[in-house]
Amino acid sequence: MRKSKHIIAVVILIIISTVVLDALFLFMFQRPAQASTQATIIDNFTNIHFAVQAFLFSLIMVLVLYSVVVFRRKPGEEEEYGAHVEGNTALEITWTILPVIAVVIFGVYAIFILNEILAPQPDEIVVEVNARQWSWSFSYPELDNKVSDELVLLVNQPVVLEMQTEDVIHNFWVTEFRVKQDLLPGSMEVLRFTPTEVGDYRVRCAEICGLQHATMRAPVRVVDQATWDAFQAEMLAQPKIGDLTAVERGELWSQQFGCLGCHSVDGAPGAGPTWLGVYGREETLADGTTITVDDVYLHDSILDPNAVIVEGFNPNIMPANFADRFAEKEAEVMQAEGLEIGIVEDLIEYIKTLQEDTNAN
Amino acid sequence: MKTLKYWLISGYTKGLIGMAIFYALGFYLIQAMRNASGAEYDPNPGVMIGAIFSVIGFLLFAGVLTDWLKWIVGKRPPLKHGPPQGRPEWTRYINVDNNHKVIGIQYGITGLFVFLVGGLFALTFRLELSQPGMQFLTYKGYNTLFSAHGIVMIVSILLGVGAMSNYLVPLMVGASDMPFPRLNAFSYWVSIPPIVLVLAAMVVGGWDTGWVGYPTLSLRGAIGTQLFLLGFYLFGFSSIASSINIIATVAFMRAPGMSLFRMPIFVWGALSAALIQLTATQTVGISLLLSVMERSFGMTFFDPAAGGQPILYQHLFWFYSHPVVYVFVLPGLGVISELLPVFARKTLFGYKWIALSSLGIALVGFLVWAHHMFVSGMADSLRIPFMVTTLFVAIPTGVKFFSWVATLWEGKISFETPMLFVLGAISVFLIGGITGPILGTIPSDMPLHDSYWIVGHFHATMFGGFVFPYFAAIYYWYPKVTGRMYNEKLGKLHFWLMVPGFWVMSFGQMSAGIAGMRRRIADYDPALGVTGTQILITIAAFVIAWSVIIFVYNLIASARRAPMTNPNPWRSRAPEWQTASPVPELNYDETFEVVGGPYDYGKGTPAYVNMHPAAVPGD
Amino acid sequence: MSVGTVEDHAEHHGVELSPEQQVKANRFGLWLFFISEIFLFTALLVARFFLWGNTRPELNQVVGLIATSVLLISSFFVYRGETAIEHGDKKRFMSNFLWAALFGTLFFIGVVVLEWNIFGLSGEIAGIEIFGTLKPTDGVFGGVFFAMTGIHALHVLSGILLLLAAWYNGRKNNYSATDNWGVEGTALYWHYVDVVWVFFYPALYLIGTAV
Ligand code: HEA
Ligand code: HEA
Ligand code: CUA
Ligand SMILES: [Cu+2]
Repeated sequence: MRKSKHIIAVVILIIISTVVLDALFLFMFQRPAQASTQATIIDNFTNIHFAVQAFLFSLIMVLVLYSVVVFRRKPGEEEEYGAHVEGNTALEITWTILPVIAVVIFGVYAIFILNEILAPQPDEIVVEVNARQWSWSFSYPELDNKVSDELVLLVNQPVVLEMQTEDVIHNFWVTEFRVKQDLLPGSMEVLRFTPTEVGDYRVRCAEICGLQHATMRAPVRVVDQATWDAFQAEMLAQPKIGDLTAVERGELWSQQFGCLGCHSVDGAPGAGPTWLGVYGREETLADGTTITVDDVYLHDSILDPNAVIVEGFNPNIMPANFADRFAEKEAEVMQAEGLEIGIVEDLIEYIKTLQEDTNAN
Repeated sequence: MKTLKYWLISGYTKGLIGMAIFYALGFYLIQAMRNASGAEYDPNPGVMIGAIFSVIGFLLFAGVLTDWLKWIVGKRPPLKHGPPQGRPEWTRYINVDNNHKVIGIQYGITGLFVFLVGGLFALTFRLELSQPGMQFLTYKGYNTLFSAHGIVMIVSILLGVGAMSNYLVPLMVGASDMPFPRLNAFSYWVSIPPIVLVLAAMVVGGWDTGWVGYPTLSLRGAIGTQLFLLGFYLFGFSSIASSINIIATVAFMRAPGMSLFRMPIFVWGALSAALIQLTATQTVGISLLLSVMERSFGMTFFDPAAGGQPILYQHLFWFYSHPVVYVFVLPGLGVISELLPVFARKTLFGYKWIALSSLGIALVGFLVWAHHMFVSGMADSLRIPFMVTTLFVAIPTGVKFFSWVATLWEGKISFETPMLFVLGAISVFLIGGITGPILGTIPSDMPLHDSYWIVGHFHATMFGGFVFPYFAAIYYWYPKVTGRMYNEKLGKLHFWLMVPGFWVMSFGQMSAGIAGMRRRIADYDPALGVTGTQILITIAAFVIAWSVIIFVYNLIASARRAPMTNPNPWRSRAPEWQTASPVPELNYDETFEVVGGPYDYGKGTPAYVNMHPAAVPGD
Repeated sequence: MSVGTVEDHAEHHGVELSPEQQVKANRFGLWLFFISEIFLFTALLVARFFLWGNTRPELNQVVGLIATSVLLISSFFVYRGETAIEHGDKKRFMSNFLWAALFGTLFFIGVVVLEWNIFGLSGEIAGIEIFGTLKPTDGVFGGVFFAMTGIHALHVLSGILLLLAAWYNGRKNNYSATDNWGVEGTALYWHYVDVVWVFFYPALYLIGTAV
């Protein structure tokens, strides 16, 4: 076969292979629905990557496989050598320079795309995101700083998340929005996006953060204007602390302070003992002794969690700084409503109500 | 019976005893001091000092330090060379020995063993992941297993790289050994206690930071975290010591006439990898050591509660841990370049470019570390430059690919097992490589970061850049090392099981990742719709495992075959095939002279090396 | 998987190093080790600038300055010792190395006893408090200061042991004007550890405003 024939064959094969592979990539690598402006931009950009990859893979693999088939050693020509070519400087320079150009173009293009998805929008609303092992909470500065354990957003309303973590690194990721940002202890990180599709989503923590990293998620709802208005009203109408009973307050604190990230209220296993039926239960401790769970025990276990550990659970999981954080909140309530409360006591009252029999009926 | 006795008095046994004694010594010393000063109970400082002592104990008892201690007290013990006296030959492989080939094989076998252990961990957690919900592991168990899988596999790669560099570099440049044989033995033996520490970390509480050990998570984890950090840290001594020897071998011990651009191309890969190991290892060492000190002594570096910066750890960590991925692949890519001409019966296309691209990759590799931190909260003024440098790594890597393709073109290719693995390596590393730039541009990295796409990316690069070439190397040099041929049928079976197994696993991981599957999770949401993919990955993992079992069987069974009659089964021009198999103690009968190019197949010019330069003067 | 036996060593081997080449290789290897360690010390400096920025803790300037001078003096003795052995003057080499080890020890004590104040003492000389007050647990100031001085002090300690080993080997007549790699290597190492301190000292004591 003449040289030019080889080359024509290879070029045709590369073109076919590129087209096929690109289609295959798009088929194999299916992404979740696009639910933000950023998602559309990023996906289109990623598709260019796929096309380039399909081409590069075809370019090299077609040449390799072609050689394997056409230039394999046929029986009977045992001692022959291949053609003698030591190298070709012109070729080497070509396949250095062309990728350089490709890479520079790509880099510059990526910078434009990046600026596009990061650009602040004129009428953004702010939501504060708080993360801890292993739960999320969201507070809305525009709604009186009311706190929710569900993120509710208005469709087509640009949002900027101001995110803080109380302990270790976490990462805010909703697959349908594509964008992602670490939450670094000790600093505030921001994330901007504009949700575009009404629907129910989930934020999942995308940075290993210890034992229950897998289940660190929270619901996200993107809603239309009517639902949004209702949500706002509902949040603002949230009763004052002073209007709540101790048990109701306890339930609120258990959400706000992230207790439920580790302790279930329905008997499901978790990083900490379930609260269902815990009050009055007989527990075996790690050192073999048994105790009965009462007010004093609960009080001490919340404020100094490492002092005694129930068998089957690990020390150093639960934060030991609740005393300070409770005091801070108590002072806040005192200032806002002139009300003196005890968060630990509220929590204990709440835990007392979580009994097997009351739930069963 | 005799065999057992030799094992009981081997360097390993003695070392482990010394390790235990010294560990206890260090631990209780610190504990006693703390008790005396009335400090609160905290195992961290004791474990830290205990672990460091234990390495010293291991080395002392195993006999690695004997010659140096004698030197200090004024004696000049001669270098022990040659097989042991009064014991069977094989016992030199389980004792401290200074011959680079023995050390290379020690590296290789340890690395293989560690690889199997790491693979076993993967199989275990793959079973767990084949269905949503928790099957048989706890969260803690899962987290410990994947973290251990990561670090153990990385250690196994570094040991494998050590095996190839130690065995091959002196042999290829025509040296009788490395310039510092005792240091060479040290670098192997010092790698054992860290492995023990990391495995021990799994049973004393485990750890759940992954192999990267980011603070502040690493600062609060169970005591297993401490042992993991220390094990990782102490392993660095092995890398640094070994790299000094390799660089010095290349600098001082080349045969006459072997200019830098006439070295076998593998040596370039090993040299570039050694340069990275020499330098970058120190910064990961310090990042781990600072974490350990923060845990042990209440010092502050990374915990913002007392003014520290968690991001500092990430910078120090990735300054090593990005370049180290090129330590994994450069020797492997060297193997590809080394074997292609032999099986294509054709000159290596663009030798100089390939050689320099290794150095190029090593250098550019130092400028890209922050691409692992694109979403960590770094300022744009930092992450944009890193995006551009990251894209530039593709260029020297591309030079290698194009040159390989040109080498194959118009060759006379034959397909023995090593060649199959080389071709497999090219295709697998290519898919790993081209999935790199998609992570290298920030917008497309955002949805992919810490998803299974990354897992797919790095398994492809590591299999293509290390595992496949390493298997190729083992098959190719097996006759050299043992004097016997492996079983070709089993070798091909290994290949044809592993290739589809790998592709399914890697593509499965990528597609799960792009569908939203996060990394490092014990359990996933069935709503993601990746359950089917996960089952496929698990099946593929077991196919790979079977292929590896066949490989190990082949290695062991073939050692009993009849000795090979053909001294140069691959008709290679390389010097190591011109000497006896197995290789003599000091490698060559005479110092040879380089008279031709290493890969001039079919040129009709003289051989690469002249094995008897004195006998044939000026011929 | 066996390695053949050594037959006639004199005839059968690949490239081997002559004693002179071996010394050259040793020197080269040691320099490689230094290059490696540069990355360690640079990483520490990076940590210092990352965490301290343009500030530094209030440290005892007098102790710092004296310790630095003591270290530089020890380097001078090492230099003299090395030149001595190169001229075959064993006696002068040994006494100089002993002096160097002594000054090295003084530096070490200065850091550990005075600056770290591990015994928790206090006292004044000529109206100047000579014991440090910074503790390792004092936030990033304590952390970085103790990490940098500690890792450097470990190098000093190993250097002192090497100096003593070289001295002892000198006593055993193991060195001559031509064969003295042990001395040369030790000296190189000591100078290197010294130079590192030349970078550490200003980073810890001089740069930035004390707070
Ligand atoms: C052997 C290991 C290895 C190798 C060789 C590589 C090679 C590359 N890697 Fe990979 N990488 C890892 C192992 C490796 N990586 C690991 C282990 C992680 C995860 C760590 C963790 O978090 O646990 C990771 C993560 C990782 C990230 C971080 C992702 C994230 O966490 O968000 C990024 C981002 O840029 C990246 C990029 C690259 C690039 C650009 C290359 C390039 O070197 C690839 C270059 C090759 C090619 C591009 C193909 C051939 C070239 C051509 C055919 C020429 C023409 C090409 C073009 C013009 C584009 N890698
Ligand atoms: C060389 C490196 C290497 C290799 C070869 C592998 C091999 C494999 N890896 Fe691994 N992997 C990593 C390096 C590697 N991995 C790293 C660095 C991480 C990141 C960790 C982190 O996130 O921190 C990772 C993470 C990782 C994950 C992500 C975990 C998570 O994020 O939750 C997954 C999931 O599928 C996985 C799977 C596999 C599988 C199925 C194999 C298979 O190829 C394994 C095949 C099996 C074998 C080779 C064993 C065969 C042996 C036997 C059956 C017998 C054993 C006998 C004795 C012990 C005597 N790996
Ligand atoms: Cu929070 Cu993972
Ligand atoms: Cu990287």
